[in-house]
Amino acid sequence: MKVTVNGREVETAPDPCRRLLDFLREDQGLAGTKEGCGKGECGACAVLLDGRLVNSCLVLLGQCEGASVETIEGVAGTALHPVQEAMLQLGAVQCGFCTPGLVMASVALLRENPSPTPAEVRRGIEGNLCRCTGYVKVEAAVLDAARRMREA
Amino acid sequence: MAATAFARPATVAEALAALAGGGGRWTPVAGGTDLLVRVRDGARPGGLLDLTGIEALRGIREEAGALRIGALATHAEVAAHEVVRKHAAALAEAATVVGSPAIRNRGTIGGNLANASPAADLVPPLVALGAVVEIAGPDGCREVAAEALATGPGRTVLVPGELIAAARVPLPGPGRTSAFRRLGARRALAIAKVSVAVAATVWRDGALSGVRVALGAVAPTVIRAAAAEAALEGRVPSPDVLAEAEAAVRTDARPITDIRSNETWRREMCAVLLRRAVSALAGAHARSGD
Repeated sequence: MKVTVNGREVETAPDPCRRLLDFLREDQGLAGTKEGCGKGECGACAVLLDGRLVNSCLVLLGQCEGASVETIEGVAGTALHPVQEAMLQLGAVQCGFCTPGLVMASVALLRENPSPTPAEVRRGIEGNLCRCTGYVKVEAAVLDAARRMREA
Repeated sequence: MAATAFARPATVAEALAALAGGGGRWTPVAGGTDLLVRVRDGARPGGLLDLTGIEALRGIREEAGALRIGALATHAEVAAHEVVRKHAAALAEAATVVGSPAIRNRGTIGGNLANASPAADLVPPLVALGAVVEIAGPDGCREVAAEALATGPGRTVLVPGELIAAARVPLPGPGRTSAFRRLGARRALAIAKVSVAVAATVWRDGALSGVRVALGAVAPTVIRAAAAEAALEGRVPSPDVLAEAEAAVRTDARPITDIRSNETWRREMCAVLLRRAVSALAGAHARSGD
């Protein structure tokens, strides 16, 4: 079967019941996607599947035939993504374990809604648990990234 | 999860054929937001029958006076759909608040029905709105009222070999409106502790008719609140009438005490959410101006 990962087509004969998360981390070596709860509660494993935010712990590889997957490794180009840049500058990263998922959720939000209100940002990242930051700086960073992207 | 069989039929007929020949080995899966959590907790289905490749189960469209919502419609699709938002506000609200963005992008209306959780968010609205569930089976299609689908926690009237194909929500007449309210430990991702959906026709003088009230997470299945419906029927929801309806809904609810909440609180919150939902009906009616 064929899956596109970060723009690169991957041909593989995998176990269709393998979780997308394990395929990315173990088979593709893309360890930026994290496993927190494994039950869709924490968002650490969030990736974009055909452009939509999903928890990769709750997607089976067999369901991804012909699909396009975007992970944290595919978000940055030659420079960091504005969301990543803003999170660094505003101190929105502490231990960092939830950060890839938060970045993916924020990128998904800003693609759909380039000018979110603070409440819309909180809703956009409501599926991502962070035990360190208290979310205040994360929210500020996403709003700041939105402003940068609109002005760019 | 190693060594579980997997099949991805492209049509309903292929899926039904697999189920018919599978000797009970196949468990249908769509968004996986409930099933794959159970697998993580140790469930080992003999085989996973992935329905997400079946185009005919997708999409939301108006058809013969009803809104036909394909079983594979995701919560996000239901929440964003203009006609759902306009004519089935309670359902749109439930699909907007269930889970999280990532869950709403995967979880489906068919899965929410099939899992038959008493706390399923989309089910009280479907029951209040008088929805019908289309079930595809080896002998063709049959229909079951949404309120009659579940027979207990995790159990439905579906027999082996059958699949949920769609939910059909009747398009409402003038003045008909609906609302959904829920409480959980937090807004996102928490399973409902109590939920209430109300649908009614709001008349020019504010009186309600055709009142349907459905309660989630306070009985083994989503239930109708018959006493509360009777207390509201034909009446303007004045403070006195609302107080009567609140007393009635406390008797309609049959909650238990469990890890998420206790019986007394759930009963009381049914009353609070009923009041909020009925107030929302009146507000929606005032805004629509008809």
